[in-house]
This record gives sequence, C-alpha cells and structure tokens, in this order.
Amino acid sequence: MNNTEKLYKVVADLFRVEPAELNEDSSQDTIPNWDSLGMVNLISELEQTFGVEFDLLEIADFKTVGIIKSTLADKGVEF
Amino acid sequence: MTRQTCKHRIPSGWPETVSSAVSAALESGRTSAVRHSIQLVDALPDAVRGRGLTIAVARTFTIEPQLDTLKLALATLPCRPNIRVGNLNNVEQELLDPGSSLLAANPDAVLVLWRLEELHEGLVSEYGRWSAEERARAADDVVARIRELCSGFARASSAPLFLSTLPPVRCGRDLSDVHRTDGIEATRYRVNREILDMAAQSRQIHVFDFAGWAALEGRSAFDLKMDLYAQQPISAGALSSFADALRRTLRPIVRPRAKVLALDLDNTLWGGVLGEDGVENLKVGRDYPGNVYLRIQRAVLALKNEGVLLALVSKNNAADVEEAFSRISSLQLSLSDFAAARVNWRSKHENLVEIAEELNVGTDSFVFVDDQAFEREEVAFHLPEVCVLDVTEDPLSILRAILDSDAFDSFRISDEDRGRAADYAAHRERKHLHEQSVSTDAFLGSLKLEATIVDIGDDSLPRVVQMLGKTNQFNVTTRRHAEAKVRAICATPGTAALTLALRDRFGDQGIVGVLLACPGDSTETLHVDSFLLSCRALGRGAELALWSELLRRASANGFRRLTAEYIASAKNAQVADLYDRLGMVRLREDANRCSYELSLPSSAPMPGWIAVNETVEK
Repeated sequence: MNNTEKLYKVVADLFRVEPAELNEDSSQDTIPNWDSLGMVNLISELEQTFGVEFDLLEIADFKTVGIIKSTLADKGVEF
Repeated sequence: MTRQTCKHRIPSGWPETVSSAVSAALESGRTSAVRHSIQLVDALPDAVRGRGLTIAVARTFTIEPQLDTLKLALATLPCRPNIRVGNLNNVEQELLDPGSSLLAANPDAVLVLWRLEELHEGLVSEYGRWSAEERARAADDVVARIRELCSGFARASSAPLFLSTLPPVRCGRDLSDVHRTDGIEATRYRVNREILDMAAQSRQIHVFDFAGWAALEGRSAFDLKMDLYAQQPISAGALSSFADALRRTLRPIVRPRAKVLALDLDNTLWGGVLGEDGVENLKVGRDYPGNVYLRIQRAVLALKNEGVLLALVSKNNAADVEEAFSRISSLQLSLSDFAAARVNWRSKHENLVEIAEELNVGTDSFVFVDDQAFEREEVAFHLPEVCVLDVTEDPLSILRAILDSDAFDSFRISDEDRGRAADYAAHRERKHLHEQSVSTDAFLGSLKLEATIVDIGDDSLPRVVQMLGKTNQFNVTTRRHAEAKVRAICATPGTAALTLALRDRFGDQGIVGVLLACPGDSTETLHVDSFLLSCRALGRGAELALWSELLRRASANGFRRLTAEYIASAKNAQVADLYDRLGMVRLREDANRCSYELSLPSSAPMPGWIAVNETVEK
C-alpha cells in the first residue's frame, strides 16, 4: 500500500466511506462523519500511521484531504 | 503499567479468530482494528457475550472519541456494554436528577471521571495569587461538592457509583508546591483521601483509581496537545491501558470473586523438585531465584488472609512434603494454611474435582497455578471452567500472574471473608494418598504424544548415565550405574537396553525413559535391571510403551521368563506396585524388596494414545 492509499484508508475507515469515493478535495463538507470528534480520532490515527506529530496550527488547517496530504509531505512522508 | 501487566484477558469461550483480533486491537489501540473487533464480538452468540451492562459516565473532559476502545475492553469481561456519556462538565445535573439522561437509562454502574483542573479551575490556575485562606476555602469547596454529590446521588439512584481519584495536575506547579501543606498537590491528596473515606463509609460508593492509573502510566498517560485541542486528556498511546484499568474496576459487577487458589508445589512454590533434588536443595529464601519463590509464597499468603482458600495439588510423596514443610525454615506458607491438599500421583484435574467437593465450592471458582504446561493443559482440557493462570517455568512469570490476577477482585472484603480460610484449615482432614492410575482418557490423546524407543547408543549414553544417577521417584531399583557399567550391560548379547524419547504438542522432551534388561543366570531368563522415567514424563503412560516394547523383544528373542524386582528407596513409593500393575507375578517380598516373574512369550499393548515412531533393534 503506498502512502496515498494509506491516507485514504485511514480517512475511509474512520468516517465509514469507500476509499474510492475520496479525493484531495474531500472535506468536512463532503464527508458527514468528519465532525469535530472525528477530527480528534483522525489526528491520532494519522500520527500513529505515519509516525509524525502535528502541531495545533497544522491541525486547525485540516480542512481537506489534500491539505492533510501536503502537511504530511512537509513532514517527510513521500507521496 | 507496563505491557506485561496489562495483558488483555479474553473469555475462553470466544473463537480463536475473535480472541486474537480483539487482543491485537486492544494491544494497538488503533481505531479501525478496535471497530472491526467490536463487529466480530457483536456477531458472537449472546451466550458467550455475557449479560448486558449499562455504564453511565459523568465526566469533566472529552472521552467520546475513545469510547470504542473502552467498549471493547469491557466486552471481554464478558458483557454486552452500553456506555452512555453525560454532557460535558454536567456532573451534578446528570447525577442528582433521577430523570436525567444518564439516570433514566437505569444504569448498572455510574462512573465519574474528573480532574482537579475542572472541578475547581481557579484552584489550579489562580493558586499562586491566592492567600492561604482562599486556598483553604477552595479546597473545602471541592470536598463539600463531592460530599454533596454523594449524598444527593444516594437519593436519586441505587446504582453503584464509581468515583475517580484525581490524577496529578500537570501545569502551574513548581518544586515548592510539594513543600507546602496547602499546595496543589497537598490539596489533591486531601480530596483523594476524602474520596477513599466516602467509599469506605458507603456500600454504594466505589473508587476508580484514576490517580493510581496515571501514576503507573506516568508521563505518557496524558496528551497536553489533545487536551488543549479537544479537552481530551487521555493520550492515544495510553488508551488501551486506561480501558483495561476501567475493565478491571468494573469486573466484580459481572464476575464473582474466585474462591480457591489451587497451587502446584515443585517449581511453583519453591525452586526445584523435592523428589529429585531433596529438601536441602530446594530454593526458597533471600537470594535469587529463591527470593522469587519467597515472594510468590507471600503473595499467596496475602490472598489467604483476604479470604481465598488455598489448595495444594502436588505430585509428590506426602511424607516428603510434610518433611519439607517442617524442615525448611524460610517457607512463608505452612501446610496448615491450605484448606485442602492432594499430594499424590493422580491427575490434577481429578484432585481438583475432589477438592471442590471437599470444600463444597464449584470448580468454576478455582484458579490454578502450575509451572508445567502439561498440568495446565490437562486441567484446562477437563475443567475448562477453571481459571488457569498463564505462566511459564520462569518463577517471575508465576509471581506476576498471581499479583496481576483479577480473579480475586471484589469491592469489599469482609471480616467474614478473612476468617473463612482459617475455618477451613481448622476443620481439614488430610486425605490419604491415592496410587497413581494411568489415565487413558481423551486428554492424553489430545497431547499428540509420540515416543521413539531405540537402543542405547553412544549419542544417548551420557543422558542415560545422567538419568540413572539423578532419577529418584519413578526408579524401580535406583541402581546408580556408571558409564562403564552401562556400556558392559549394552554389550551383553540378548540385552534389551532401551531409551524412550517423548514429544508432545508442547515440544520435544528428549529422552525421558530408560529400561535395562539383561540375560540372567539361565539363558532363558531376562532380568530387568533398571526401569526409570524422568519426573517430567510422569502420567503419560510412557512406562507402558517401554514395557510393551520389552515384552515384544524378549519374546522374539526366545526368552522363556522375565524377572524383575522393586527395591524400595526413600523416594520411589510411587512405583512400589508397578510390576503388579503390569501383570507380573509376585515371588518373594520383604521389607524393602519384592521380586516378580512373568512367563514368556507374552505381550502388552502399546498405549493407544502414544504413537511409537520407531523401534530399531541393533
């Protein structure tokens, strides 16, 4: 599984959607289960899956899957 | 809490696939694995999922994203958990009103999770600026608030109430704080002491030791980032351990306390095998590893003092055990501490059933500890309701298993509980020993025993000489032949000099049996010189396999008569009637010797539960 697939799987598992439905524009507006509590789990899962740590400013900006992906890329995760 | 001590306990009735998935999910704490496991558990039949358990949680911080893990941990009790969470920081509103969303659900237990930070925000954040009077008043306010909550709750609900102790406050403190009797830490201790007092005074109130959990979990217990981001303080990495602590706290609601702790003796309560090593060489005392056994005995004694009945189940000679208990001064336990004892050569599950009858306690209230995998499997096979502790031969694993076991947990231990063990011990009659009866039951079949019976060769000679020199219990003549003597016996034409190696599904035990039979005075007679089994191999019927092979060879080689003798030693009472059981005829007997004969040709069946791989004759 490459890192894009891993990222999509984390989001899909957590919010109960099909990975195929996801793209970089997927956001809290398009995924119903992505609420504020879901965000808490999402952060934990991403940190554990990719072995990174986000700061609060980064988290505040997590509006779309694409933004998360570029934040991960900034931390050295290769896509 | 380390990984080792927070081992997740999965109900024995769950299929292996579910058990391993649940175990892995709780170990990792990952959301997707936890959710998948919950689905697997939800699909199990109600019979193995246990009763429904509604838990109402009043709290001062966020735990909603972490509920799946809590639910899965509780499900392993087993029970069908229904966790309901009250509104954030609405503890009184939820718990003082019988019609609140939490109490209206008629919960089986109510849990309060709180921290000093939210109970009295000013007390933490303004502390440095407050006068001594203001500090004291704030602490009084917190105590009064908890007291009022408890008395008000008693009017609103009859459910058991679990109050959390307050975990350490992580900000706003410096070193000087702990040097002040009115510091934040001193205030926290005061409130926690108050919580313990309230629990001691009311049968409705129990303690969830949140502070104790945090102390053991240490730095990794809380996550300041998520605390600030979502008011969710419990860290993702510590969530599994937190869930396990909660599971253990609530366990007594679902599971009654086990009543009996049944213990093996050799290599469980002391180091070494009494019948082989002798009393003077047993390890129990101040030095490693004797100190581990000392600690095991103390832990066992502590359970006895809390009302747990002790049972001794040992394969030994009763007289030896009595001698050992009277001679070893470093023992913490005495024989009179045991409410029941079975020291004999029968299978342990039979002894446990008898003890259950004697004590009038069901075997489902038994916890069994034994360093030998064979004995644990044997008990688990016949008595699946017995809680068999998961240990290894390492005494440290036995100590940990006893200290960490939740089987004896209960909310309250009464004076009556404490006196129970003494009552039993006072009335105990020690039963007489029973002779070993080799069981041909399904259990031995399930072990997948494989024996290899071959002639002694250069490769096996050192082991044979070692066994002749060391083996005491299953040793019919106790002849300590040196290597040269064994070589001479093997070289004699017509001799049957056999070794038996045993494998079972736990592994390879190597050579565990030796039989030496040499031609006697007349060439038609074969005489059994030595016949011995390692104590590791008792109870499997290995002697029957060796005997069968001996009769086959002796008959094929034209012998007309087989002779043998039993020579009594201090340790070998268990084989006093071996040859009677094997069907030989007694010729002469005196105080410590009995001789036998058998006409040949003759045969004995191979035990059906042992597959004999090869019987190569030289």
